Amino acid sequence: MTARAHTAARAAVDVEQVISRVLLGGGLLSIALVVIGLALYASHTGLRDRPLEVHRMERPGRQGHPPEVFVSLAEVAAGLRSRPVEPLAVIALGLALLLMTPVLGVAVAIPSFLAAGDRRYAGIAAVVLAMLVLSMLITGGLG
Amino acid sequence: MELSTFFPAVLLTSVAAGTVGAVLGLGGGILLVPILTMFFGVDIHYAMGASIISVIATSSGAAAAHLRTGLSNLRIGLFLVLATISGAIVGASLAGVAPVHWLEMILGLALGYSAFTTIKQINVEVPGEAPANRLAARFGLEGSYYDRLLRREVRYRATRVGLGLTAMFGAGVLSGLLGIGSGAFKVLAMDYFMRLPMKVSTATSNFMIGLTAAASAGIYFSRGDINPLVVAPVAIGVLGGAYLGTALVARLANRTVRKVFLPVLIYLALSMVLRALGIHFP
Repeated sequence: MTARAHTAARAAVDVEQVISRVLLGGGLLSIALVVIGLALYASHTGLRDRPLEVHRMERPGRQGHPPEVFVSLAEVAAGLRSRPVEPLAVIALGLALLLMTPVLGVAVAIPSFLAAGDRRYAGIAAVVLAMLVLSMLITGGLG
Repeated sequence: MELSTFFPAVLLTSVAAGTVGAVLGLGGGILLVPILTMFFGVDIHYAMGASIISVIATSSGAAAAHLRTGLSNLRIGLFLVLATISGAIVGASLAGVAPVHWLEMILGLALGYSAFTTIKQINVEVPGEAPANRLAARFGLEGSYYDRLLRREVRYRATRVGLGLTAMFGAGVLSGLLGIGSGAFKVLAMDYFMRLPMKVSTATSNFMIGLTAAASAGIYFSRGDINPLVVAPVAIGVLGGAYLGTALVARLANRTVRKVFLPVLIYLALSMVLRALGIHFP
């Protein structure tokens, strides 16, 4: 595809602007969740005289990890369902969303490139997405 | 440390890390990990978890702004990240087999050499007309951005794409194997091998590091390295800092960005060589 064709295609659907909005939206939404979670935590528990446990347990995992750490989306969901809502689960949900935001950007790039008439880059975005999913599966993913 | 002290202090540190990361195309972990471990006494695993969050927050914040202004090149980023992620998958599967100390030494020396080449071209503002490259033409690896300092549209085209891809693959292998970010390598490959303008290199690296980090973020999560109380102020601060950084970089010359990049490169080279010799400092 020539440079001129790229410019023409870009005029129809501006892929850059679409991805930009996805990244911005994902970032802001996840930060909003983190802020809400922190506010809930501060109002429930208070921040004064609350020492932070900064040393990770020797053997983390389902049994060993400290209560404030979530190691799977299932644990996050359980925290969100409990009443009153577990504030740290709200923070963890925001963080999980943040981790997924770049992947979301690539996923949205595929139809955007197609709509812009750039099938080659729709294909490249699809391969990148497949490799991201593959490496998440290999490394254990968000469980 | 009490949370009422920890939160504001880490928030401010993270704003700085996000700003620097957004300007230089790095994740900010290079600043955050040593500060969190040394000054705040945070466990190294929690610090690494905070670092991966910082990389993705920097990337999302900076790339969102840079894609809008056209400084970040989406096609070049996606094309090169193919090599980085496949490298990272290879690297992760080589862990435990490969001679890590030798790799760290090679990496340290390579970074030292690239610091030297960066000094040589430190005053190049915009690279000259690049020789035609078949891959660049075929995959549309070119673009333009409006430079507010030069007050003109700067057009660029990638060259030596094969070399750039190889460097990106190597960067991926190393980051998968050694668990280090590879933002500096991505910037070097684009700035030095492919001769893209420095600011395009850092802005495109900003887009790419989020994808490479996302590929390995799951494991930090499921290992329990992401502590919401440690990471919350980091995520907020870094995202804010990343927006500041993108506003800043539009006003900086390519030369200036390269001059700020150089000490980071030297620091990375030294810490890698020391790691290879068995001396760890984060």
